[in-house]
Amino acid sequence: MIFCLVYYLVLQLPLSLLKTAQGHPMLVELKNGETYNGHLVNCDTWMNIHLREVICTSKDGDRFWRMPECYIRGNTIKYLRVPDEVIDKVQEEKSRSDRRPPGVGRGRGRGREDSSKAKGIGRSMDDGAAKSTGGGRGRGGNRAGGGRGR
Amino acid sequence: MSSGLGLENLVDQTISVITNDGRNIVGILKGFDQATNIILDESHERVYSTKEGVQQLVLGLYIIRGDNISIVGELDEELDASLDLSLLRAHPLKPVIH
Amino acid sequence: MGAQTRFKSSVQSGRKETVLDLAKFVDKGVQVKLTGGRQVTGTLKGYDQLLNLVLDEATEFLRDPEDPLKTTDQTRRLGLIVCRGTAVMLVSPTEGTDEIANPFVQPDGA
Repeated sequence: MIFCLVYYLVLQLPLSLLKTAQGHPMLVELKNGETYNGHLVNCDTWMNIHLREVICTSKDGDRFWRMPECYIRGNTIKYLRVPDEVIDKVQEEKSRSDRRPPGVGRGRGRGREDSSKAKGIGRSMDDGAAKSTGGGRGRGGNRAGGGRGR
Repeated sequence: MSSGLGLENLVDQTISVITNDGRNIVGILKGFDQATNIILDESHERVYSTKEGVQQLVLGLYIIRGDNISIVGELDEELDASLDLSLLRAHPLKPVIH
Repeated sequence: MGAQTRFKSSVQSGRKETVLDLAKFVDKGVQVKLTGGRQVTGTLKGYDQLLNLVLDEATEFLRDPEDPLKTTDQTRRLGLIVCRGTAVMLVSPTEGTDEIANPFVQPDGA
């Protein structure tokens, strides 16, 4: 029993994390290799997502588009890169809601806007890594970013 | 609540993931769901090449979609720490062909 | 028009099907990417909760025959089309969408 409880406290669901990331910048790579950098507006249980202020990068990282918003179907997503602080936020919300009786205060996303934050996400990255975040897996002579050559 | 996946035993442990596009991502498993979507914290990608040692790219917090995952494996941290990745040469994996 | 009002009422009845309200794109230009790599733009005339879309005066961007993942500036006119929802990968408004130079060369604020 205690074992289960521990899991319950530690484990979190990818989609809850995504929900918590609403309002945060993120990078989404699609199965076709295109990447989208933008702020998450909304998401649903199918991982369909709605991004705002988006920069789209082509598969080989040599073309870029700016778009005010876009809707991405969940099943075309390969992965999402989320700012590190979001995981702490889930934990906070979880422990807060754990203290409450079930069924009360299920409100999650808190629609905050933090426009002062830089576009790039992630922690203490060296230049190379920062660059590859930005341009998806951009080339630009940076072997860290585009070195896969696929 | 047992999903029978066996992934619950790996929560908060370092795991190694091979994705369908042939990438190897190492990170701490923070969560997963029935679709094997997984949350990886402090993750980094290991890029293999035959010409130089293994490159590690810092990725941070990642959600990987389950249908893009080929393999999830436990990482023996002790063994891993004893490896000198800069000396390791390997062919990069080819992507899965559907 | 009928399809739209029907959709609205289904939203109001409680179950929200999509994270994006396509109503605001009706009669506006949208860009749609489809699974398999096709890319079309057109005026959104209608849609349903399965993301089937009706596009008027649709134009498809032709792709590089050498590399079908790359689109070229060549286009072909398709006219009035229906995009099947299951094949729709991405929807974005055409207005405000522009190709830009690499914005990541010097990550701002980093």
